[in-house]
Amino acid sequence: MRDYPLENRGAFPPHVAAGAGASISLAPVKGGFVIHLLGDAKSDEAALKKALAKIAPELGADVRKSAPNQWFWVGDADVSSDRLTEIQAGLPSQFALADQTHGRVRMRLSGPSSRTVLAKGTMVDLSADLFAIGQSAMTQIGHIGAMITRIEDDSFELIVLRSFAGSLWDELNHMAAEFR
Amino acid sequence: MSSLVKCPHCGLRPREEFTIRGEVATPRPDAGADEALWFDHVYLRDNPRGEHREYWHHSGGCRRWLVLTRNTLTHETSDVVDASTLKLGERA
Ligand SMILES: [Zn+2]
Repeated sequence: MRDYPLENRGAFPPHVAAGAGASISLAPVKGGFVIHLLGDAKSDEAALKKALAKIAPELGADVRKSAPNQWFWVGDADVSSDRLTEIQAGLPSQFALADQTHGRVRMRLSGPSSRTVLAKGTMVDLSADLFAIGQSAMTQIGHIGAMITRIEDDSFELIVLRSFAGSLWDELNHMAAEFR
Repeated sequence: MSSLVKCPHCGLRPREEFTIRGEVATPRPDAGADEALWFDHVYLRDNPRGEHREYWHHSGGCRRWLVLTRNTLTHETSDVVDASTLKLGERA
């Protein structure tokens, strides 16, 4: 979101790129949007994705289930509040949108050791054969609530409340230290 | 490790992801019921040795209220359902 009079500042400390050959890398995802989608008890995820793809084809329909009838809709584009109002108007009335871009941030943990690092914080089994690409889990990493989504073979995206982002960032760096 | 709870929405998760609210009380007495009945309902809790039904909130996951049937002796959880199913009547 670019159209409110606040300074758009990253939630993370200055980013240090991983050294060449490191089996782990942690990077912030800058920009984009995170929108909380809530549906009534009769919500159907496939129908929701279809509706989003039709109303906002430019945003992609990357929706990540966080709870029964609740999703985070995530993408890399900037969405103005006018555009969001249009999208809400186009959606069936069983769905409501709440922009969370200001409050939830994304980061990416990648590399062959990413599962081992995450296993230090969560007990969700992220094995390749159990946790498919595109699958999400709302869980805790240590004491911090986070959503984990597998985006590639050995790459995971984390969504965390902005005020916890710095803390999770530091914790993940500690957890990953042995692989750098 | 910790005890594991099978959330009907999220699968097997550690106890640390949950907030425990306590016993599922018996249905509310009628508004005009005897004071002793109300006292029992509001304040008195059983502490059974064996099966116990409790409200658990999956605060670190789907954030749904669950009803858990737990054996206080073995910590085995035999049944976990979403609390909204209580409204349907069959488990109230
Ligand atoms: Zn759950």
